[in-house]
Amino acid sequence: MSQEVASPDVVGDELTIDSDVHLQIRHEDLVPYLDEPWRSRMKDSHTGQQPNDGWDRTVNGKFLMDFDSVQTAEDLKHSLCNDLGVDYPIINTLGLMSRNPENDWSVALMKAHNDFLIDNFLDVYDNFLGLATITTQQPDKAAEEIDRMASEEDIVGIYIHNTGPNPPLGDSFYDSMWEAAEDNDLNVAFHGSADGFMFEFPRQNQSLNQFIEVHTLAHPWSQMLTMISLIVEGTVEKFPDLRWAFLEAGLSWVPYMLFRLNKEYSMRRSEAPLLEKMPEEYFREKMYVASQPLEEPMAQTDLAKLIDVVGTDNILFATDYPHWDFDNPETLNQHLQRMFDPEDLTKVMTQNAIEMFDLTI
Amino acid sequence: MKEYNIAKEDEIGVGERIVTEIEGREIAVFNVDGEYVAYLNWCFHQAGPCCEGKVTGTTEATWDSENLTQTLTYTREDEILNCPWHGWEYDIQTGECISRSGVSLPSYPVRIEEGNIILSL
Ligand code: FES
Repeated sequence: MSQEVASPDVVGDELTIDSDVHLQIRHEDLVPYLDEPWRSRMKDSHTGQQPNDGWDRTVNGKFLMDFDSVQTAEDLKHSLCNDLGVDYPIINTLGLMSRNPENDWSVALMKAHNDFLIDNFLDVYDNFLGLATITTQQPDKAAEEIDRMASEEDIVGIYIHNTGPNPPLGDSFYDSMWEAAEDNDLNVAFHGSADGFMFEFPRQNQSLNQFIEVHTLAHPWSQMLTMISLIVEGTVEKFPDLRWAFLEAGLSWVPYMLFRLNKEYSMRRSEAPLLEKMPEEYFREKMYVASQPLEEPMAQTDLAKLIDVVGTDNILFATDYPHWDFDNPETLNQHLQRMFDPEDLTKVMTQNAIEMFDLTI
Repeated sequence: MKEYNIAKEDEIGVGERIVTEIEGREIAVFNVDGEYVAYLNWCFHQAGPCCEGKVTGTTEATWDSENLTQTLTYTREDEILNCPWHGWEYDIQTGECISRSGVSLPSYPVRIEEGNIILSL
């Protein structure tokens, strides 16, 4: 299968598993993976995979959106594994189709993304692992795709873009999807985006003036919404074997949301009758949060406190490579080395991802 | 202090730069309006290659509290170095970071001698 086995690169001395690595699939590269009529649509309509939201990611062209480093497996290995020292990238396709208005088109895109990922990345190197993108508009179709992906040995979990799914993801509407994930031992990673903001938070999308406002809010709002919904609606009790990860919103939103929910739960327990524990306990037992983009308090000691409160048992290392707010692995590693014991460092860089994605490495 | 001959004067035109390695450090030499400045190619934020980013202007604002009006200006064209990793802005003439207070790029003296650009380290 593999053309070359990566010799483990090290950041410090740790085996580094990166839980959030993105592709940026060019439209023309998806064409062969789509059936008609979608193939012709992708080739000829010029509408691409989803409507554009109009926001400028480049700060008026100040930084370039250059995705050459992720166009082939070789490029990604070179830029992320060799240059930045990541040993095992867990790759998602950055499929955003869960916020698209057209259901069948979204399902076609989902399958195309997954086949593209497997053919062009996961089958190329042994150390490349992947998440199957799942779109949420039709949970039965999502369940079928989870069943299809389960036989792929390099698929280690599912990836759900959670800025846009309607209703929120703890709703019983999605039970067949979660059942399929649980039956197939594929745990779930959520990834928000500013891209879905216009669907999830349309009033704010139309009234905020700058992209910095949208981007700062979009990721944590989406993760908060999903976490609250999964816990309060009892999804965490209905599917007890599933583990849940929240990518790309950093860490600090987690203590706030959990401690607030603890308080609300004790006041209004009968509105969350499936729960058997405190909300915080579900996080500690079943949930992970990815480090990137690591917040930047003015005092470094505040960062140590935040990491301590979230807990090194529940943090996954992630770069978000190759996006403009990615974190350099070396920087996080240095923070952690300064602040924590070696065992804590190993949990964050390696061990927690092994548990979350049930990896044998 | 050691001196290094970086290039001939005419090899770095106005607005151009070269990035070179000296004693294991990546250093960039810029020609800013005919003056040469040199900085370590190492961003204070997350160690990115800040000297390889675009050189642009930037947006500034003034607030008139009498009339409750904000005026935006695009200004300092060709004076702002943008780190290509996450966009931190540096003043190309001084190396001072304008997006995080208290941060400056390490700089190196540069002079011209008989048409050569000489950097001291
Ligand atoms: S490394 Fe330069 S802005 Fe982050």
